[in-house]
Amino acid sequence: MMASASVRISLLFVAIGLLSLFFADIAITSINPWKDLTALFIGIVTPDFLSLQGMGTALLRTIAFAFTGVALGSVSGFLLALAFRWRVVRMFSAFIRAIHELFWALIFLQFFGFHPLTGVLAIAIPYAGIFAKVYSDILDEVDPTPARVLPAGTSTFSAFLYARVPDALPHLATYTAYRLECGLRSSAVLGFVGLPTLGFYLESSFSQGFYSEVGALLILFYVLIATLRFWARPRLVPFYIIAAPFFLGDGLPIVWGNVVRFFTEDIVPSPIRNGDGIAGLATWLSELTLHEALPGIWNTLVLTQVALVLTGICTLIAFPLISRHFGGPKRRGIGHILLVIARSTPEYMLAYILLQLWGPSMLPAIVALALHNGGIIGHLIGKRSNEIRLRPDAPQGCDRYHYELLPRLYRPFIAFLLYRWEIIMRETAILGILGIYTLGFYVDSAIQNIQFDRAMVLILITASLNILVDTISRRVRQHLKLRTSVTCEGH
Amino acid sequence: MLKTLKRALLLSLALITPAVAETFVFTAIPDADETKLRERFQSVADYLSQKLDVDVRYVPVKDYAAAVSAFRNNQVQLAWFGGLSGVQARALVPGSRAIAQGKEDTQFVSYFIAHKSTGIEKSDSLPDAVKGKTFTFGSKGSTSGRLMPEYYIREAFGESPDDVFSRVGFSGNHSRTIRLVEAGTYEIGALNYAVWDSEMEAGTIDTDKVKVIWQTPPYQDYQWTIRGDVDERYGDGFIEKVQTALVEMKDPELLGKFPRSEFIPASNDDYDSIRNTAEEIGIID
Amino acid sequence: MDALRLNNLTAAYGGQQVLGPITLEIREGERIGLVGRSGAGKSTLLSLLYDRVRDQAALVPQEQGLVQSLSVFHNVYMGRLSTHSRWYNLTNLVWPRQRELREIRPILEKLSISDKLREPVEALSGGQKQRTAVARALYQNANILLADEPVSALDGPLAHVVMGIMAEAYSTSVIAIHDIDLALRYCHRIVGIQDGQIALDAASDRLSPADILPLY
Repeated sequence: MMASASVRISLLFVAIGLLSLFFADIAITSINPWKDLTALFIGIVTPDFLSLQGMGTALLRTIAFAFTGVALGSVSGFLLALAFRWRVVRMFSAFIRAIHELFWALIFLQFFGFHPLTGVLAIAIPYAGIFAKVYSDILDEVDPTPARVLPAGTSTFSAFLYARVPDALPHLATYTAYRLECGLRSSAVLGFVGLPTLGFYLESSFSQGFYSEVGALLILFYVLIATLRFWARPRLVPFYIIAAPFFLGDGLPIVWGNVVRFFTEDIVPSPIRNGDGIAGLATWLSELTLHEALPGIWNTLVLTQVALVLTGICTLIAFPLISRHFGGPKRRGIGHILLVIARSTPEYMLAYILLQLWGPSMLPAIVALALHNGGIIGHLIGKRSNEIRLRPDAPQGCDRYHYELLPRLYRPFIAFLLYRWEIIMRETAILGILGIYTLGFYVDSAIQNIQFDRAMVLILITASLNILVDTISRRVRQHLKLRTSVTCEGH
Repeated sequence: MLKTLKRALLLSLALITPAVAETFVFTAIPDADETKLRERFQSVADYLSQKLDVDVRYVPVKDYAAAVSAFRNNQVQLAWFGGLSGVQARALVPGSRAIAQGKEDTQFVSYFIAHKSTGIEKSDSLPDAVKGKTFTFGSKGSTSGRLMPEYYIREAFGESPDDVFSRVGFSGNHSRTIRLVEAGTYEIGALNYAVWDSEMEAGTIDTDKVKVIWQTPPYQDYQWTIRGDVDERYGDGFIEKVQTALVEMKDPELLGKFPRSEFIPASNDDYDSIRNTAEEIGIID
Repeated sequence: MDALRLNNLTAAYGGQQVLGPITLEIREGERIGLVGRSGAGKSTLLSLLYDRVRDQAALVPQEQGLVQSLSVFHNVYMGRLSTHSRWYNLTNLVWPRQRELREIRPILEKLSISDKLREPVEALSGGQKQRTAVARALYQNANILLADEPVSALDGPLAHVVMGIMAEAYSTSVIAIHDIDLALRYCHRIVGIQDGQIALDAASDRLSPADILPLY
């Protein structure tokens, strides 16, 4: 009966996805993409590690920002998790995680400028919101009986320390380690807006068509991610965290007056700044809503729903690649490499490559999101499948997939997808920059035009939309009684 | 553990304490060849440092808005802006001045380029045949890749680009515009003529696939803009000193980095028409 | 301690009354054995009792309430968390205190698990876990012991040893137990639960196994 409920939900999502596809613009218009794509391919297979100065520094900065940001986010998130029973804390956490790290970076850039704090906070703040939620889920799932049998009069602190923390600790650590990988990705991507991480060089080389440099940078990044579990040993992590702040670089000094100006002038809607009063504000807001917010919301939703369904399909195809129930170690090795590439290549870059192939429409963005997220969930489901022990005489191949594995993995699969839903929506923001008119496109335009008041309103709308989707997702998960412990890996 | 914590705290304090070093910092909009920006401008920094007798540092930025923000936030005091970004920056920093422009910047133009399959030939006005095609600008904040092309599109058709073309995109920069139109991803594009010319010279454009179909009338573009408050910080007459240093830059190798034949004095008024255009289009409030 | 009289204990699950109303008096120095079929309401009754007398009772729940990743020592120590300061508890978590080790080791020796002192609970067998939970209740040294099937995973002789130790340490106790012989031997009074009601309440020296069997 439960299975049929999750199947019914899946069908509903597929139906919504198909309906969105009907409204989505997915025309293929490119005429002769092969010249540039060939150059790209040749460049990537002939990486040039020597021509790029500062690649080592960029690598160091990428790691330093990731460790500092994730560590700060983890500590703040833990403190928030302790206060999670208060609604206001839950709402605050939901809000700060609903804003993409790129947007946080763009906001801080306006007043901190190119200071290390910009990058650290851009990672730490949204991560604190995510950590708060997941840590609190993990702490809630700890067996409550040890706390119940404690002698009367035990202080809350001691009870927490003995009856909750120890059993939650391994899960907290696993999840934090997983977030570290995400942190490295975020840190690299922050380079796209000008922080001195790998993304800075990656984007520059890419936009200039220096594909051998792109190849070198991508390979460096894949290796960084793929070898994470070898060099980020639990015992070494404290040293990394202590060392990281020393390697952030110095950037430019902060001028505090700019912070004040940003909050008291820049983000105040221009009609109020110019003294046009409430009437002016109403016109301003309705114009903004009609021409930017509403089209942005529509395109964001359409893109998200189609990409979500396609992500599911990609996942179901991808997870056998690394599952030990199919193929030997050699094939799984290749599968791992493929999935590392899929999940570590910035969506932005995937989308750009596909844009050349298919021309300007929503299609490149949809497929880029699906490949990237399918790579992530495929990896998680694949790992989950490796925990399953099959009877020795279990069927092979296709039958094994359909009869033995899929039924056992379908619920975690749906749970992961529902978790990823909100994240996919957040990621549509980056693709907005490629000319798909999502909310991210309009936010980026407003910032490029130095209209932070508009940017702020649009960012708030984006955040509300993300919170809405997050809420629906949680309801659906509760309805399906999907265990929340998948959060240990789902985000 | 506590000791390391204390150290981290001290460090983070040190990170956020405003430094008072009187280094003169400048930046430039990343219009082309971003990867080589640092080496490109380091020699300019060395030149200015020698002429001005202060430490001069160059910082690279990723987009036009970031250059404007850094200027506004007084993290950089001098910037090589495009026409539009300069207007935006000077509007945000009262007292700031355009002090020099390239000789070519008084007569700057944009090229409209088209993929061969459109069959559109070069003409003296923006051809009607571009209507209904797909179109890409460069960066959103660019003068030659966005502002002026949009202005002339509106002038020619009396409609916004969204209504004239079937699809409108923003490639991000000029060389990417060339590659996207060359690939036929977009059928039409508009870009900085200087980038086109230098890529033609380098032979990286497949002229069987893409060609120039129209050249806009000339307008004012790039300029050096300096903050008005630098005189207080670096001594009276500092603005003039910087202006002189720029105008007296004669080394062809240095000038080649921009690339300009020479720098000439400029003033804020030179860019009034750019500001009017930006206001008309609604890029500036 | 005075006699404890608990009036009108009731429990409902999903809107349906599953226990009571039950009135039960626990006299000082009296060991009560709760017997009855599984699902009759013994655990529910114990849980209700615990809620009423929490500040003077030690509980051994059926699911033991152990922190799996902590050592046996720490789990037993948790029986007296309330008598120490936060700081003491915190440091003891990181570096076990000699003083506490000295107090806890003899208890574990009596229960034959002293060799597991520093092992995490998750590495123990079912029987060892059960004895750890009992050790915690012994260490807590409250007025009343409430235990729910505390020896179910122990084999014959060991079950007798553990029941004996509990009887020695706690003069007043309520122990749910399905083994009729153990119940008759170590409890003064037998309370039989059937369908959420008290179906039998008598001194154990006046009962024989045959009197109890109909409850099952």
